[in-house]
Amino acid sequence: MVEFTRRSLLGTAAALAAPALIRPAWAADTVKLGCLFSSSGTMANIEGRLNHVVRMAAEGLNAKGGVNGRRIEVVTSDPASDWPLYAQIGRQMLQQEKVAALFGCWTSVSRKSVLPVVEQNDGLLFYPLHFEGDENSKNIVYVNSPPASSVLPAVDYLMGAEGVGAKRFFMIGSDYVWPRTINKQLKAYWTSKGVPETAWREEYVPLGFSNFQTLVNQIRSFAAQPGGQPIVVLTVVGSSIPDFLREFANQGIRATDVPILGLDMVEADLEGLDTAPLVGHLNCWAYLQAAKAEANTRFLSEWAAYVKAKSVPFSADTVIDPMVSAYDSVQLWALAAAKAGSFDVPEVRKAFPGLSFADPSGYTLTMGAENNYVARGVFIGSVNEKQGFDILWQSPDAPKPVPFSPYG
Amino acid sequence: MVEGVRRLGLVALLAWGASLMMPPALAADAPLERGPFAAALCGDGAAQTKAVEAFLHRAAEAEAAEIAWAGAALRALLDRRLACLGETALLLDRTGAAEGVEAATGTARPAAGGRSPVLGLRQRALVETASGAAALLTGPSVEARRAGLSILERRIGAVPEAFLLRAASAETDPGLRASLAAVAQSAALSSPDPARRLAAIRAVSEAPSGAAFSRLSALKTDAAYGSDPAFRSALDAALARVERAVSIGNGLAVLYNGLSFASILFMAAAGLAIIFGLMGVINLAQGEFIMIGAYATYGVQEVLRRLAPAWLDAYLLAAIPVAFLASAGVGIAIEALILRHLYRRPLMSLLATWAVSLFLINGVRVAVGSQNLQFAMPSYVSGGVPLYADFVVTWNRLFAIAFAVATLALTLVILKRTPLGLDIRAVTQNRDMAACLGIRTRRVDRLAFGFGSGLAGLAGVALCPIYSVNPGMGANFIVDSFMVVVLGGVGTVAGTLVAALGIGSANVLIEPLYGAVAAKVIVLAGIILFLQRRPEGLFAVRRRR
Repeated sequence: MVEFTRRSLLGTAAALAAPALIRPAWAADTVKLGCLFSSSGTMANIEGRLNHVVRMAAEGLNAKGGVNGRRIEVVTSDPASDWPLYAQIGRQMLQQEKVAALFGCWTSVSRKSVLPVVEQNDGLLFYPLHFEGDENSKNIVYVNSPPASSVLPAVDYLMGAEGVGAKRFFMIGSDYVWPRTINKQLKAYWTSKGVPETAWREEYVPLGFSNFQTLVNQIRSFAAQPGGQPIVVLTVVGSSIPDFLREFANQGIRATDVPILGLDMVEADLEGLDTAPLVGHLNCWAYLQAAKAEANTRFLSEWAAYVKAKSVPFSADTVIDPMVSAYDSVQLWALAAAKAGSFDVPEVRKAFPGLSFADPSGYTLTMGAENNYVARGVFIGSVNEKQGFDILWQSPDAPKPVPFSPYG
Repeated sequence: MVEGVRRLGLVALLAWGASLMMPPALAADAPLERGPFAAALCGDGAAQTKAVEAFLHRAAEAEAAEIAWAGAALRALLDRRLACLGETALLLDRTGAAEGVEAATGTARPAAGGRSPVLGLRQRALVETASGAAALLTGPSVEARRAGLSILERRIGAVPEAFLLRAASAETDPGLRASLAAVAQSAALSSPDPARRLAAIRAVSEAPSGAAFSRLSALKTDAAYGSDPAFRSALDAALARVERAVSIGNGLAVLYNGLSFASILFMAAAGLAIIFGLMGVINLAQGEFIMIGAYATYGVQEVLRRLAPAWLDAYLLAAIPVAFLASAGVGIAIEALILRHLYRRPLMSLLATWAVSLFLINGVRVAVGSQNLQFAMPSYVSGGVPLYADFVVTWNRLFAIAFAVATLALTLVILKRTPLGLDIRAVTQNRDMAACLGIRTRRVDRLAFGFGSGLAGLAGVALCPIYSVNPGMGANFIVDSFMVVVLGGVGTVAGTLVAALGIGSANVLIEPLYGAVAAKVIVLAGIILFLQRRPEGLFAVRRRR
């Protein structure tokens, strides 16, 4: 395993000047996969897990004899939650490490910065997060859901009779492309449903922001105004999520007064929080740890065993959607490479249509010919006392992904 | 605290409910049929809603025993201790227990294969209200009944008036009866009796809040507002009173927010002010000293959990000396090993402290892991209390403010009243002259560096209940603390205090107007402009060179 840091980047640059003799001879019977997940900075607590999941998936495949007769070698890195560094390390991995595929990025801003790199080098990036859609590059596989099959069903649920009949919306997000685009689409969606513009408010905070007192005060006074049931649509990311939830609970607001729909909220964000006063807040993902499926039980025990065996510095009993999606990404890549009988990106890409894989969520993932999106199921989760999510609602099947939103 | 009481009340309620497991006594009319009620709780959202709404409407007449039984079942549903086996509902002692008792009959049965329904939000609100109603009427203690009332108050519109009257007449505690009467009075806003309406308006305006203002404003569209002058003047007066109270409450909230943010800034910057002021070392590892303080707090918590679980709630206080010594120890070690070789080279010391910071972050990550640490939150740092109108005092922030005041006092005492403080001040003002007079400046440097690091460790203790604790937490504070120190003037505690108050309240004042992103920009621009005028900061220490 090779660790990438700023320093080793310099080192590799220096090594490049030296003759190619130093390239290891064993490269012939292995194939490299690259990871672009931060293990420092504001995203470290959640992104850091994905490096280990990719390794675990690769080890699983190696135990079955690898792919096309080659062992998988995983190259990890630390882009340090610094968006331009994702592009820099991504280029390094494609050009010098010659990785067959990249697995990486959490925030959309990091994906947007890697996008030109994979397009120029005709690489392949598997992106495991649900996101704002409106993008379809032949060099990126969007393993998680666009808004039409994640955010909109959840908002519909909250607006409907089964949810709370939400009439007013307080949007609060981190200040970058994903929250802004999601909120733009939501506003257009509400306008199409006849919700007046006075019924919503939109606030943004810097990434890594933690002092939410004033904003929670504002939410309370927003909630006190007349006009129907208010909800909070939360698109802050990283360490801001637990800090926001803590302040929200401390100021005495309960989910039955003002529910939060946390679009980036996962089980890992609840670690270290007393969730009793947070019970009932919602999230929506393509996988929840509570999913009832045999594949899930297997995945959970595999992860727990892996954490124990490798003393991975993360919780053995917490599994979040992007972890499963990263795992699915490796499986999809392996299936495509095996089907193509090659590791060349154009060949692998040609093998995507028609792939299917029964993943831990209990749904069968499929890829179509029209785009690089993957059809996933939809879950709406509700926070419980035990720092996890109970499944409140789940879709009957995996809806066909709609990359470009008709709203906004 | 309240949560604990509520839980105690629940246990008592359950015990009491269990002792009442006799054949259902029939009420005069519309008895609660246990079987169908329990089955409905196991049904879909619509069935739950229907059954619980019907229960709430009947609660004014039903027998106390029936209400207690239903309350126990509803509480179990809320806590996910209700297991459904087809149509029968079992009450479990705890979530996932292997055996339970049938809700309707009380016979014991294994719960294997049972399904615990997850409540939708609408049903959760309703079930909470209904179980609050049951607790208010049949709670064994005044606290349990008061907790029930406070749940009912959140959704007073869903509670039939007759029920409140029954609860008021059945209540034995005079204090609780008075609050019940006030709640019942304010629930009569749309009563047909004009006198009761006026009383309701008065009652609502006596507990002012944004929600009360909305409820009263809604009455302006009422026919009586145009036709009845007495009603009109009463409503206008009440609205004016509520509006005034709400704006006072909001003003208090702004003050409190500013003060609490300032206290965090001050604690993060106090140690830096001493280190930077004394030695001119730009210590980029200061944030990591805060992190070490927080991890030491976690260590104290875990030790107490193992050795003295009864004292667990006091871990934040017990951690104060430990966190101080841990951070001070690391600080002194770093000074002795690295920094003392670099005193004449400020740029080198900047790079070295940055390296130390990376080393500490990654060391902790390897040793402990990068997940957020799990802290047990004692009642004195969780939740809050509504003080006036919409102004809520949150205990964790109050703790931080008190802690900052104590830190300030400690710093001042040490600097002004101890020999070490005298030495530090002397060395800060003129290092060479102090050395000539026999002060061992190297030793002073080391102790002062340890003291400054220890203060950062204390900040770590105070931040545990507010922010998430993970290896990277220190990075959030370093920029803000430098801003405070530079604005305040290098090396003065008073300057640091004033700068923290200024930056904290400026942030809080600008945030609601232009948003949190712009607030940061505006504050930073303001600081730059100020430093153009006064490069030495607010308070400059007079130095002789």
